[in-house]
Amino acid sequence: MITRRKVLLGSAGLMALGAGSCAGRRAWMSREPALPAAIDPQGRALWSNWSGLEHAYPMKRAAPADEAELAAMLPAAAVPIRPVGAGHSFTALVPTEGTLLSLDRLEGLVSQDTTTATATVRAGTKLSALGPALAAIGQEMLSLPDINKQTLAGALATGTHGTGKGITAIHGTVTALRLVLPDGTIAECSRQTRPELFHAARVGLGAFGVLSQVTLQNQPLSRVKKVVRLVDTDWVLGEWPMLAAKHRNAEFLVLPFTGKSALITHDVTTEPVSPRLPDTDSQTLMDLKRLRDLFEFTPGLRRRAAQMAMKDLPTDVAIDEGWKLLSNERPDRFKEMEYHLPIAAQAEVLREVIARIERDALDVFFPIEARIIAPDDAWLSPFYQRESGSIAVHAWYKEPHDWMFKLIEPLFREAGGRPHWGKLHSLGAGELKALYPMFAEAQAVRRSVDPAGRMVNPFLKKVFG
Amino acid sequence: MRFLLVILMLALAACGTGEAPPKPLTAEQSAAFSPKDARLAKLYANSCKGCHTVSGAQAPLTGDRTVWDPRWAQGEAGLLSAAIQGKKGMPAGGQCFECSPDDLKALIAFMAGREL
Repeated sequence: MITRRKVLLGSAGLMALGAGSCAGRRAWMSREPALPAAIDPQGRALWSNWSGLEHAYPMKRAAPADEAELAAMLPAAAVPIRPVGAGHSFTALVPTEGTLLSLDRLEGLVSQDTTTATATVRAGTKLSALGPALAAIGQEMLSLPDINKQTLAGALATGTHGTGKGITAIHGTVTALRLVLPDGTIAECSRQTRPELFHAARVGLGAFGVLSQVTLQNQPLSRVKKVVRLVDTDWVLGEWPMLAAKHRNAEFLVLPFTGKSALITHDVTTEPVSPRLPDTDSQTLMDLKRLRDLFEFTPGLRRRAAQMAMKDLPTDVAIDEGWKLLSNERPDRFKEMEYHLPIAAQAEVLREVIARIERDALDVFFPIEARIIAPDDAWLSPFYQRESGSIAVHAWYKEPHDWMFKLIEPLFREAGGRPHWGKLHSLGAGELKALYPMFAEAQAVRRSVDPAGRMVNPFLKKVFG
Repeated sequence: MRFLLVILMLALAACGTGEAPPKPLTAEQSAAFSPKDARLAKLYANSCKGCHTVSGAQAPLTGDRTVWDPRWAQGEAGLLSAAIQGKKGMPAGGQCFECSPDDLKALIAFMAGREL
């Protein structure tokens, strides 16, 4: 996102006097949410996800040091057993009153093959650590998600993705998995070995067992040029197919109520390194919030003030290895809904998303994110056999998000969208079956590896039926 | 006379602590610290360090007492509750899901520059 703090602040300040009461109202409405107790009456410590939406008091917390320890503890572990990566999922994939299983100690590189640019990695490795580890062996992932705090296992389990025409989500680069099944058996799978388990568990919601190792098909390390520029939203919506095809990684963030979007592109370059500057996205976000606080009920003024503030903004450029540029710090917690639509529907649906928010959700100030993802063949992948355009809407962690379900999700569903597994959605097995051609087959594999349902919490019961 | 007494008291106070006033740290300086205890060091590296040594993350930098001292003055109980429940930008548990409350206490003390 582009930072124009001073300009925005100056513009907002001019109007501040008359709008002070609106800001005061907002300060009250955006107060810190009530927090669950740190320790429950049984003395169990709180677990909560990153956004603060989900929480639980697990009876047992486990963090096996290696695969053997993991295999030994699973058969007798208190149920439900729920693996947790970095807790970034917004949905209730993790909450458990049984065993909360951290993969933090299963981290680091296991082996590599320079000739094929493949690497085998322990599944608890954080994406933020994986980037430099791969760079050290001359490899990189072509695409990374917006945030890189997740573990590799968590990212795979939820179909986490970056952006780029012809570039798959992370699970599309997986060539082999080692999975510890609920009974403690270690299963190796790939396209050649136990292919049904490979196809079902690659995007497995942490419900097929616990991932211990993953082999990734990477690319030789390259240098990329990141360009962030402010553009008219109408223009980027019209040019999106061309822009997506032209750049290795392209995405845009619609700034609602402004008519503007931040277009972010990454392309391979041989230009000299020009490191990214300190991240100022958070300041920009809070400036958008201030504009909302002041002009929430006067969208015309909000738009004019924003456009005045953002006039003549320079383009931001950074040149470096991709792992240093593709992901961002996101210190402002939020809640998110993201659906993956057939690519041909993306722009039209996005236009309607913007229209609905600007008409009926005046309190929204977070950008709307649009990305493109190549098809793959994992049975529970939201990108299964279909090139997808994703649309993500966000709400600050302190503020309501019910508008996502009322205004936006019906639109996504009408367009045949499949929800991101880690982000807010309301779908259950019935609806999901209609969206995933291999859903029944995946359910059957799941039952075969976990017949007693030891890895299923209430949320997953709804998902798998 | 009163002025002289104040000067004297300040001088004595300085002698009493023997500590130079804290100075702000850079992210690089902060990132160089690690808990001495190997287990704690691993917990720290896998969770807290991801934000508490990164300027853009807006978390107080590890070892920077100019930002930690006011927090430390709030007392251990308040800091521990904030760590378990999350506060503002910080997610609950600091995303250390194997950490016990005692681990979190030790990590807070380390990051606050009490046990570098």
